Amino acid sequence: MSTLYQAALLAHAKNPYGATTLAPGVEDGEALNTGCGDEIRVAFSWTPEQCLERMTYEIYGCAVSMAAASMVARRLEGKTPSEIRTMAAAFADRIGRTGFEEEWGEFQVFNGIERYPARIHCAMLVWQAIEHALPPSKG
Amino acid sequence: MSRQAKPSSGTPGFDPGQLRSQFAILERDIAWLDNAATTQRPETVLLAMDRFSRHHNANTRRSVHQLGMEATAAYEGARARVAQFLGAGAPEEVIFTSGTTAAINVVAAGLARWEIGPGDEIWVSAMEHHSNWVPWQQVAHAMGANLKVIPLLPEGRLDLAAFRKGLSGRRTRWVAIPWVSNVLGAVNEVREVCDAAHQAGARVLVDGAQGVAHLPVDVAEMDCDFFAFSSHKMYGPMGSGALWGRRKLLDQMQPLLFGGEMIARVNEEASTWAEVPYRFEAGTPHVPGAIGLDAAIQWVQALPQAAHTHVSSLTQMAVEGLAVMKGVQVWGPTEGRISLVSFSVKGVHAHDVAQVLDGRGVAVRAGHMCAQPLMRHLGIESAVRASFAPYNTQEEVLRLLEGILAAQELFT
Repeated sequence: MSTLYQAALLAHAKNPYGATTLAPGVEDGEALNTGCGDEIRVAFSWTPEQCLERMTYEIYGCAVSMAAASMVARRLEGKTPSEIRTMAAAFADRIGRTGFEEEWGEFQVFNGIERYPARIHCAMLVWQAIEHALPPSKG
Repeated sequence: MSRQAKPSSGTPGFDPGQLRSQFAILERDIAWLDNAATTQRPETVLLAMDRFSRHHNANTRRSVHQLGMEATAAYEGARARVAQFLGAGAPEEVIFTSGTTAAINVVAAGLARWEIGPGDEIWVSAMEHHSNWVPWQQVAHAMGANLKVIPLLPEGRLDLAAFRKGLSGRRTRWVAIPWVSNVLGAVNEVREVCDAAHQAGARVLVDGAQGVAHLPVDVAEMDCDFFAFSSHKMYGPMGSGALWGRRKLLDQMQPLLFGGEMIARVNEEASTWAEVPYRFEAGTPHVPGAIGLDAAIQWVQALPQAAHTHVSSLTQMAVEGLAVMKGVQVWGPTEGRISLVSFSVKGVHAHDVAQVLDGRGVAVRAGHMCAQPLMRHLGIESAVRASFAPYNTQEEVLRLLEGILAAQELFT
């Protein structure tokens, strides 16, 4: 159990960075976990250079989904849509599979989540919303 | 290490330890408090299914050989057992299905859809499982009918006064209700709903999934028109269940699946159907499932009343234990509740509660429990549910309560 609910994860879950209340319709993307009803709505603001200024979101979710959203919201600031897509793919490759290397820093709290496979989709919820929220890929 | 129940873990006059020895899976160190999702299966059920596959396996009703006759006898014997279990008039009124969901869909799409027109009304209740909501919603959409909802009283019982007031003798055609709520544990006044619906000229389908393991069934006493239930919620196998319907309505119902076993005659241009109930059982049926259900019914019928009293006392113990815990909200009525309790823990998501409990060897359900309309009514997204069977023990209820305290400690 301590593998899943590490102190760093709980700290994010209790005080999620970027979490707010979004008026209906202002979100850029949303995701629903059909299995449990958890839901996240994500809104982006961009700098003139098309870098992410801030990601805010309204979430109803478990500790794992809230911590993931919190860590991701902080980590994505300053990134371009293309960099965000690259990071999304890299995250999906690692979560529940190879795990996160040292350079991923606090994301390493998710190492060991493969022992709780039902919870991997909790950590992926924010990314599903981000995928919908990103501007269409130019490529 | 296995946690074998001690006699002290039972209710006076009942020792769950004797029952537990019939369930190999309970030798694992898991407190199975997710019985409303699925119950575990006793040896008699497993052996009956195994015996069929090892010694009697053959197609039913189409074989002249010895094994075919044995398989047919076993399958039709199971049908007769189900009929007797339900208090049904005749075995022919029983259709084997893959479970409650399939049974409800057979009625909604095979009969209700043909009887309902634009502007007609179908009633469901606010405490419905999705399996008794969505099929009716789809019929309403397809036919331009209105889906009406029996509201709930504050404590979580059906508001029958509002239902009676809202019934329309001209427009109300169908009513679908659960016998027992899978979230609230409330036992509904099925007979009263049926009487009111019938006075308005409507038909009633009862979702019996959560009742059959715990309460004596009598469709005649309920006076419903259809009754659906699943085998795996009453110690039988998954993928097996049954639908009971009034014979004259089954005669009017259209089959949904076409093919082998359900026909009388097939010509190039047209086909005619086999008699009821076979026209509703297209293809090779799940014969071991029916035989497992037969064995499960016998197992349930052999339970002493003290076993049911034990389940009630475990439920009461859990409800009372949760009610005094700070930050815990218990959902559902205080009276007329059976076998399960749903609750929310302030500041802790239901999945996190369930995960902490799982880490302590306690299995519960967490989520919307296939009842999103009810969740919205309660003003929550999800809840935790503990549900009990006679093989559960007081010690397991204590493990549940201790686990919730641990979750609160971790998250708040």
